[in-house]
Amino acid sequence: MLGYVLRRVAVGFAMLLALSLLIFILLRLTPGDPIDAFINPNVAMTDAEMAAVRARLGLDQPLPVQYLRWARSAVSGDLGYSLQRNGETVLGLIAQRIGPTVLLMGAAILIAIVLGISGGVIGAVRRNSPADLGLSVVAFFGISSPAFLTALLGLYVFSVLLGWAPSGGMLTPGAPFSVADLLAHLILPALLLAIGQTALIMRYMRASLLEVLNQDYVRTARAKGVREFWVIVKHATRNALLPVVTLIGSTIGLAIGGAIFLESIFNWPGMGLLLITSVETRDYPVIMGATLVVGACVIAVNLATDLAYALIDPRIKVG
Amino acid sequence: MLQNSRLTRASFVSALVMGLAAGAGLGALPARAQAPGTITGGFDVGPGGFQGNFNPLAATAGFTWLTMYFEPLIIYDAKLENITPDLATSTSVSADKLTYTFKLADTKWHDGVPFTSEDVRFTIATARNGTTGTVFAARLNAISSVETPDPRTVILKLSTPNAGLLATLTQLMILPEHALKSIPSDQLAKHEWWSKSPIGTGPYKFVRYVTDQYVELAANPDYRGGKPLTERVINRYFANTAAAVAALRSGEIAFSYVESDDVPAFANNPAFRVIEGDSYVVNYLGFNQEAPMWKDLRVRQAVMHAINREAIVKALYKGAAKIANCGYVASNLVPKGLDPYAYDPAKAKALLAEAGWDKINGAKPIPLLTYYTAPLAANVLAAIQSMLGQVGINVVPRAVDVPTYNGTIYAKAPDWTQFPIVYAGLGNGPDPVNLNIGLNEKQIPPNGANFLHIRMPPLTAAFDAAMQETDDAKFAARYQDVCKAMNANLPWGTMWVASRYGIASTKLKDFVWTPAPAGGPYDAQPQKWTIAP
Repeated sequence: MLGYVLRRVAVGFAMLLALSLLIFILLRLTPGDPIDAFINPNVAMTDAEMAAVRARLGLDQPLPVQYLRWARSAVSGDLGYSLQRNGETVLGLIAQRIGPTVLLMGAAILIAIVLGISGGVIGAVRRNSPADLGLSVVAFFGISSPAFLTALLGLYVFSVLLGWAPSGGMLTPGAPFSVADLLAHLILPALLLAIGQTALIMRYMRASLLEVLNQDYVRTARAKGVREFWVIVKHATRNALLPVVTLIGSTIGLAIGGAIFLESIFNWPGMGLLLITSVETRDYPVIMGATLVVGACVIAVNLATDLAYALIDPRIKVG
Repeated sequence: MLQNSRLTRASFVSALVMGLAAGAGLGALPARAQAPGTITGGFDVGPGGFQGNFNPLAATAGFTWLTMYFEPLIIYDAKLENITPDLATSTSVSADKLTYTFKLADTKWHDGVPFTSEDVRFTIATARNGTTGTVFAARLNAISSVETPDPRTVILKLSTPNAGLLATLTQLMILPEHALKSIPSDQLAKHEWWSKSPIGTGPYKFVRYVTDQYVELAANPDYRGGKPLTERVINRYFANTAAAVAALRSGEIAFSYVESDDVPAFANNPAFRVIEGDSYVVNYLGFNQEAPMWKDLRVRQAVMHAINREAIVKALYKGAAKIANCGYVASNLVPKGLDPYAYDPAKAKALLAEAGWDKINGAKPIPLLTYYTAPLAANVLAAIQSMLGQVGINVVPRAVDVPTYNGTIYAKAPDWTQFPIVYAGLGNGPDPVNLNIGLNEKQIPPNGANFLHIRMPPLTAAFDAAMQETDDAKFAARYQDVCKAMNANLPWGTMWVASRYGIASTKLKDFVWTPAPAGGPYDAQPQKWTIAP
């Protein structure tokens, strides 16, 4: 088991190195650099002014030199400084942003797991009933709705029309911190982020449970007089959860993608907003650092998912 | 079956309870209104805004917000008509336009240290030092010396007259020497001072910046114009305009710039006031002079006659734009007798045939590069594409983000096939000198921003004469000559100057906002702003 984990971690580091090189090359292939982002096109600047700023930021160096400088610093834990934010270190920016993203994604995943599994169980146990059909329709819309549409619609309906939730941010500007204020800002983006995942989990859970309910060991449990509640919860649901756990793990990456969009719509100060604003301003060190951290998180979650199999299903051995 | 039903009910009820709890959470935690004594706005949303803009030496926009805590020597009035005193109480310019004398206000920095002429000298030296990452160096290069005969007087000596100097100085925020002199010049641009502890002389003091969320300012009780009437001003950041509009409509912010498409949603709402103003940005089709097809004036004239500008302004801008027949629309700068280039597709076809460009690009479309990505701009470009297509000019709009646009046009070895024609804008006021850098032959990169490589001697001569003019009475006439040269030579196909809009809550009193190019600055008098509960 330990050997397996160490091997996966080593492969993870190699993947991160490849990822950083790929992002570096892609960024340099993208038209425009941080100076180009910095110029208001309605206000002209001379080449000399731009060249001076470019040289000050080290962007006039050959590309291999720029990458090696970055990689050398990154290995020692220094991801450099933002080119567009005065004096802020990339690590500092990421440290500020990772908490809000974990909070938003954690809340969304929790909502998705609870509602998705509950809905899936109801759908399977009451197969073809009105409740099952209703949940299927809801899931269909949930899977089909693109994140940008649900986010904008949710913002318009719940913030503008109903005034139930703030329209963005994580806390009321200038107000003292309170948990109620944080929750008020969290709940709408978390619910909207959870929609797609809830629908997916619900469909998988329903299909998986329907399959398990026809297994011999379920019939045996019923024949032995085990109460139906326990048959479903202990014997069927636990076994049906296996593919759902795989799904939850593999959709973390998708959830990060969704979170990036949600964060930009709701101005949620997380990694997604950081990445979007950094791409818009071609803030190379921040893009590199944030991508590295997000990549590391996805690799870690995938590893954790694999390890979770062993806990849920003792028949599975890793290593 | 009975057990099965119980289970179903239990699960269903639990799911329902969770759903209701989530819904109740939304309802039980209503959006906060703005705190008393605080004005919260999206002051850096939209064109002219510049989120995360803290270093005024590197600023090309967002000046209005910066003047909440920094101040320039002189500043435009709120109508952008006259330059008025700010940190300088008076300005005098010698007859030969080579000596500028400023008398300074008796005031203090936010930390209590007196403001003196040495701060002005330090600021100008720093702004001219390329290692600081300044964007002012070229614009201040006419200054040959800065003299400070006493703490309340600054004298600038110029090596050559510079008609744009005063306009440049309106954007140069004066910085505290005592706070910045210990920071090496090459570390100044990325120093945390700008976003952690900046001090100025303005009506508000910097309190905090919460990264990408907001900037909070507090009233400066010692402000020489009187203590501000509102205790706090908060500038909230939004990653997109739609979110700012939502915050405005829900009452979380009291002001935001908006796109003209959003205006109808607020126009008849008594809770809001629509502020309309001249953008001072002329939109144009820029003809890349490296592209053979645009070298013939008749082809450029054909483009003008092919586009029904009146129809676009009426149907798409809903009248919120002025047709431009040169780079200017201000009445004092536009002479009579300009060619209006009336919509006439038949004439456009005839001109193309006469020039031998009636099969201008065959089946291969010409990329029309732009950084305008809003829905209105997409509709405008679709209309232009269709109109040009009717006379045989096949263009395809290519909308890109600003870095891509700048990276394409300002590339070290620009590939003109990537931008044979552009749809862009350039600030044409309040100082008309602004257009020089994009149109004068002497401003072809690397010297300036004439990225279309426009080489038109009559136009260059007109700009040179205007730039060197020392007689204020002849100033407007000189720029009328520039306008005539633009209209006759068509370095650009000038389209229009569109209006810009801000929406303010009617709870705001004495609030001044002008949709100024590059976000001003102008004398907004924020110390007088108040907001009703």
